Amino acid sequence: MATANTVTNDQGAATAVRAELLIFVAPMPPEQLESILGNLAAEFRAEDLLVATANDPTGTAHPEIRVMPVQPTNAVWPIAAVDFVNAVHAAKENEAKAVLLLGPGADSLSPAALRALVNSVSESKSDLAVPHYSLPVNAGLVNSAIIYPLTRALFASRVRYPLSIDMAMSLRMAERLAGTAQKFVNQNQPDAIVWPVSEAMVAGLSIDEVDVGTRDLPQPAEPNINAILSLVTGSLFADIEAKAAFWQRPRRLLPEHRSFSPMPAADGAVDIAPMVDSFRLAFTNLQEIWGLVLAPVSLLGLKRLSVVEPAAFRMPETLWARVVFDFLVAYRLRTINRGHLMGALIPLYLAWVAGHLNVVGSGTDAEIHVEAVAAAFESEKQYIVSRWRWPDRFNS
Amino acid sequence: MERLIGMMLQTVQNYNPPPPITNNSVPLWTHISDALQQSVYRVLSLFIAVLPGILAVFVALTLFTLIGMGMSLLLRRGLAFVKFDERLNRGNPEWTPSSSPTMLIARGAFWGCVLLGLVIGVSAFDASYSTGTPLPISLLPYLTKVVGAILVMIAGTVIARFLARSVLIGAVNAQLQYARFLSLGVKWLVLVLTAAMVLDHLEVGGKIVELAFGILFGGIVLTLALAVGLGSRDLVSRSLEGRAEPRPERVPPPEVVPKPVEPIRHETIRHF
Repeated sequence: MATANTVTNDQGAATAVRAELLIFVAPMPPEQLESILGNLAAEFRAEDLLVATANDPTGTAHPEIRVMPVQPTNAVWPIAAVDFVNAVHAAKENEAKAVLLLGPGADSLSPAALRALVNSVSESKSDLAVPHYSLPVNAGLVNSAIIYPLTRALFASRVRYPLSIDMAMSLRMAERLAGTAQKFVNQNQPDAIVWPVSEAMVAGLSIDEVDVGTRDLPQPAEPNINAILSLVTGSLFADIEAKAAFWQRPRRLLPEHRSFSPMPAADGAVDIAPMVDSFRLAFTNLQEIWGLVLAPVSLLGLKRLSVVEPAAFRMPETLWARVVFDFLVAYRLRTINRGHLMGALIPLYLAWVAGHLNVVGSGTDAEIHVEAVAAAFESEKQYIVSRWRWPDRFNS
Repeated sequence: MERLIGMMLQTVQNYNPPPPITNNSVPLWTHISDALQQSVYRVLSLFIAVLPGILAVFVALTLFTLIGMGMSLLLRRGLAFVKFDERLNRGNPEWTPSSSPTMLIARGAFWGCVLLGLVIGVSAFDASYSTGTPLPISLLPYLTKVVGAILVMIAGTVIARFLARSVLIGAVNAQLQYARFLSLGVKWLVLVLTAAMVLDHLEVGGKIVELAFGILFGGIVLTLALAVGLGSRDLVSRSLEGRAEPRPERVPPPEVVPKPVEPIRHETIRHF
């Protein structure tokens, strides 16, 4: 069992030093750690830094940077609850004023991006600074389809990557997140996902989004979409369920003033036929299960979609929003087993991906389509609020 | 209730059975009346003999229902006090039933008490019912067996539905064309097994059930095996061909064999 306090008291007493910034580096290969230390040395004064990591720092080319060992954890993607707890514990112990969390593959972030993240917090502009990555159009699709639109519609936040694996935060934000993470650790779920953006919104803390350009995002150890979609979406649904009292109140989304780096284009065309076939197969076989979860109008929309040719295949934004909201309500009501529920969502998600890639292939900017999807989620918010409060059993 | 029983007992005690018919001049209606009175006497005797048993069933059921309600209330409060749900979730974060563990335990205790009351009531009924009538006596043990059989049937149905859905969703996501067929096969396998267990529990059919179950179960398994085997024929043959073909020892240089431009496959899409 992982424990929250991985830095022992003896170690803590021996190494407790003042540091302006505590940097928590997730487990990663030695060459990546070396590159990160090089970037930090280029951008920050060494005496202001304290790096907490489970990686072995011996033999590093930057001995001037103080490195504090923490107990390694099993989680490699994304940043686990126990990592938040460890980072905040180390920050408080060493009187750090800000915390920078860097996930696996953070060596691809430029020194300027690291500086921008830290400045956003240290100059008291915000309590939480999250990066805005520039990913290819065929990457980060679960984020574009589900995580970003849901977070924007329900928590009124424009953060494009709510599940970012790098972030900077003030001490009060870190304490807030550590409190939430500690609950997971106490429940023997040290690898649980923590959602910093929704936590900050509920706490009324300010969020800043920093353009960091391209980044090599680590992929889950288990590449099976069935497992990872269930993990991430299930965690997001649980977080939304826990914060229902907050998001049911109407909130106005703040206007966007800044522009970010455009998405890089994908290399070559994308074959969407397998995804469309998967959706059609599911439509033929999963009617009984979808019928328990989805509203009749949504089922009708899916029926129409199932006969569309792959070249013209596109999931309407409103239909997708209602489908996700219906699954969210079913998750809350436990209409069917939650494992089954997440499994039944996969073909629908693949149908959205196929439509999205078709839209992008037709020349539309990917970001414009993602924004249209998010806008549809916003306009359908009343639907989820109504169904959440008065969950009609129209299909039972 | 006591008053009613008292009146019935008094009626039976005061009842004088009619003398045997010896005179042929007695009118017909007297014979009919006597026959009816004898019938009423037998029915009342039987009813009075059974009444304490029925009363025992109701008393036991009511008593144990009340005990169950009390236990349920105590368990709910006690488990909530010790934060049982929270502690259990530490070990099992994927708790999926629609009710909390505390509620399930409380309901289980309540229905367990009701079931116990029913069993004790039936036992009391059995003990007090001593008329010697063979048919009802032989049916009595069936009451408990029927309850057990119903429980087995409910459990089997729930498990069959869960497994059928698991297989269906898994097969669809694996893009197996025969997903529904596979799911139905698994469902009927479990249902047939459940039916055989229920009949065996009720001691109905004897060896015929075992034989029929063996034939049906084997038939379903064979059908599934054939379906999966035939459906995956191409996959297996491709796999075997891939293993059988020797790998080329020399890889031609890239400039000799131009690399074909392939579109991004489904697997290369990065969902995260």
